[in-house]
Amino acid sequence: MDDQGRKLSETVWTQLDRKAGAITELTIRQLRNRISTWVVLGVGVLLISLLLAFYIDSIRANFEPIDNDGDSEDWDNDGYPLGQEMIYGTSDYDTNNYPGSSEYVYLGDIDYNDQPRTHYGNHTWLYATGYFTPTWIDEEAESPFSYYNWIDWGGRGIDCPDGSPFDDWTYFQSPSYCALENGTYVVFGASFAGEGEISVEPGWSAEWGYMTESFFVEKHPKSMYIDEDPINGIDDDGDCLKDEYQTEDNSPNDSNRNGISCDVEWIYDQNGNLVSIRADNNVDEDPDDSEHIGESSHRTFIIGTGKIAFVMILGLFLPLFLALGLVRDESENGTLHYLLSKPIHRGEFILYRLLGYLGIVVSYTVMLILIVALITSLIGPGDSIVRLSDYPVWMGIALATILVLTAYGSIFNTVGLVMPKYGVYICILYGIWEFLMGLFTITIPNASITMLSVSHWAIQIIDAVVMISWSDTSLIQQKADAFGLETGISFFWHPPVHTLETGNPFVALIISVVIMLSISIGMIAIGQSIFRNKEIM
Amino acid sequence: MSEDNKTPSVILENVSKWYGQVMGINDISLAIDGGVTGILGPNGAGKSTLFKLLMGRLKPSQGSVKLFGIDPWSDTSPYRRIGYVSESERLYDWMTAQDFVSTLARLHGMTREEANARAEHVLDFVGLHDVRHKEIGKYSKGMRQRVKIAHALVHDPDLIILDEPLHGCDPIARTSIMNVIRELGSQGKTVLVSSHILEEIERITEQIVILHNGRLLALGNLYAIRDLLDKHPHRIMITTDEPRKLASAFISEEPVYGVRFPEEGKLEIQTNDLSAAHSVLPRVIVNSKVSVSRIDNPDDNLESLLGYLIGGT
Repeated sequence: MDDQGRKLSETVWTQLDRKAGAITELTIRQLRNRISTWVVLGVGVLLISLLLAFYIDSIRANFEPIDNDGDSEDWDNDGYPLGQEMIYGTSDYDTNNYPGSSEYVYLGDIDYNDQPRTHYGNHTWLYATGYFTPTWIDEEAESPFSYYNWIDWGGRGIDCPDGSPFDDWTYFQSPSYCALENGTYVVFGASFAGEGEISVEPGWSAEWGYMTESFFVEKHPKSMYIDEDPINGIDDDGDCLKDEYQTEDNSPNDSNRNGISCDVEWIYDQNGNLVSIRADNNVDEDPDDSEHIGESSHRTFIIGTGKIAFVMILGLFLPLFLALGLVRDESENGTLHYLLSKPIHRGEFILYRLLGYLGIVVSYTVMLILIVALITSLIGPGDSIVRLSDYPVWMGIALATILVLTAYGSIFNTVGLVMPKYGVYICILYGIWEFLMGLFTITIPNASITMLSVSHWAIQIIDAVVMISWSDTSLIQQKADAFGLETGISFFWHPPVHTLETGNPFVALIISVVIMLSISIGMIAIGQSIFRNKEIM
Repeated sequence: MSEDNKTPSVILENVSKWYGQVMGINDISLAIDGGVTGILGPNGAGKSTLFKLLMGRLKPSQGSVKLFGIDPWSDTSPYRRIGYVSESERLYDWMTAQDFVSTLARLHGMTREEANARAEHVLDFVGLHDVRHKEIGKYSKGMRQRVKIAHALVHDPDLIILDEPLHGCDPIARTSIMNVIRELGSQGKTVLVSSHILEEIERITEQIVILHNGRLLALGNLYAIRDLLDKHPHRIMITTDEPRKLASAFISEEPVYGVRFPEEGKLEIQTNDLSAAHSVLPRVIVNSKVSVSRIDNPDDNLESLLGYLIGGT
């Protein structure tokens, strides 16, 4: 037993393991003892906290339902909101015209040159200019339209002035009528209701019709016209179709010109991918914000935070401060001698140093991501208490960040080795390049120059993971674009590019991971071979 | 192991190292095995370069370096049996001595427990047992040197290389470090100690290697070299009010072969036998009743010895 145990503990592997453990541990303790490490890590926490605060704030403000099409307003203050008036085809700018109000129906008219120029009847007369001899006047009638020149018969005693009407005096200001001595009225573009004979003055006109029976329509609460038409391709609220209240002036609405009124057209390419959505007016115009804008904003936040905060900012700054001097500082301080006078290969030494660095930055990143993931998945939109579907995406972000930290760490460490003095400037320039290429990748992921950067591949990983775990993101984008619910999701996310024409996100994921690992391994190997042949003074 | 024991620990064959145009080490051949060997030479003589060649930090421009028969530049395996104390003064100040030594011990493949036990043992050996849990940053210069020595001894090496271990230490620390080195030598280990001060080496070992301008100047027993030193013309500088009166008293003495008055108030005595001259010096001064404010031996240093050796060979 003792003999066996001894053999086990003395194999080459366990010895390697102990050396790796010692250097890794030393590196972690060393980094922990530097103020700059804590400053960088603290700034990272601050950045993420700010983003979180911004997220929490926007979730409160934005996810309240918004009346996207404004049809909950009641502009004429008749108590019926615009949406209800639209369904009944009434005007929301006319207090007298509302759902259930009696409506004027046209019967006939005498135009400026029609013959004969007299008409008898019991009508509602509109814009009449001429002589009206009444047998009965409906003094109680109300104007069908508030903007017509309606006669208020209460002041019936107005006498016409001397002289010939339409010759000596062409119009009255108000009221636009007057009474002749024989009981006939002279009317000037006036509207009224009653029975009698109209004699229209040559060159002028008059129109008549009748008022329908009014009926009572319950006033809808304004809230009914907020988020009332969810995105489903159907005119849920009926303000496009107006089926039940179709009136003659309602022309069918086919603004997308596909021959079907009040529909939404979904256009696919030959591979079955959704290309665009074209909706007729007033269809799906007021979607449920807490469902769509909320979901879409939430995803935008996660994708944007993953790409910019984790991959591009933390991914660059952590290695710049922690990895650049991993071997260089030891060499400059003269403490490298203690480590190199041990039976350890210089190549191994670089590897273990990087392991120590990764030990710190990986645990830090994973912790930060866990905190952000937990908070956003708890307060994010959705019916479930915890948004479990977020976690695979966060894992993808963690993977991308870890790979970026590894790649930049090995690159910066190698640069620090080769150019102890000016390496930091080279690394800053390189960091700017990486940042710009990252921004380019976010906006135009298929620009081939971005493939020359590490950040491109990390962002591809996030894009691929988003596509895998939130497969309807593309749909949300299309809906957002089609119905004007822009939340930035179309800016921050694009389907992964490197799928080898398959469109399969797993292909892009694997390719990106392999490329990033290759970059890291390659840079470590270059660093090792340089360090192995470097004379240390 | 048995094969290693037959070959000397350190073998240099026609080793040269130059940095651009500057010669660091010039065609040195050397074999060292067993006991303490002092590597002596003024600053810039090539001591550190020699050690860095041994420790695989530098690649020889010519010739071959072998530690236990293995080239240290391409293979780090000899370091299993070597402890190295570099001239660098820097340590991880935030670590305790125990931490520092045990962490480095683990680089030899020891487990944490083994490393801790060994660290405690060697820190005790160098006399830092009581303070081993204090941060190195709070240590004095001599304690820091001893921490460096402890780390080099933690794996019980057969060959120990110490680059200027006494540099900057106070006399007490010096004595204690010297005792440690002598103790290591008496344990049968091969120890290489470099210094630019002859007296320091004299107190540790008799076996020395003298380097000068990158060349191997002398190699062998210190006393043989000491004799050479005593035989070479020496000057003794005496500062006095009456140099001429004192000169007349000295001129009749046997070891003195000449006097000079280099400047006002100074007397220079020339001798071939420094120790004999020093033995008559007090008697002559007392008898002449001249007041003397200062006596200097401008030639009794390594540079002067080396100058003489170079001139003599």
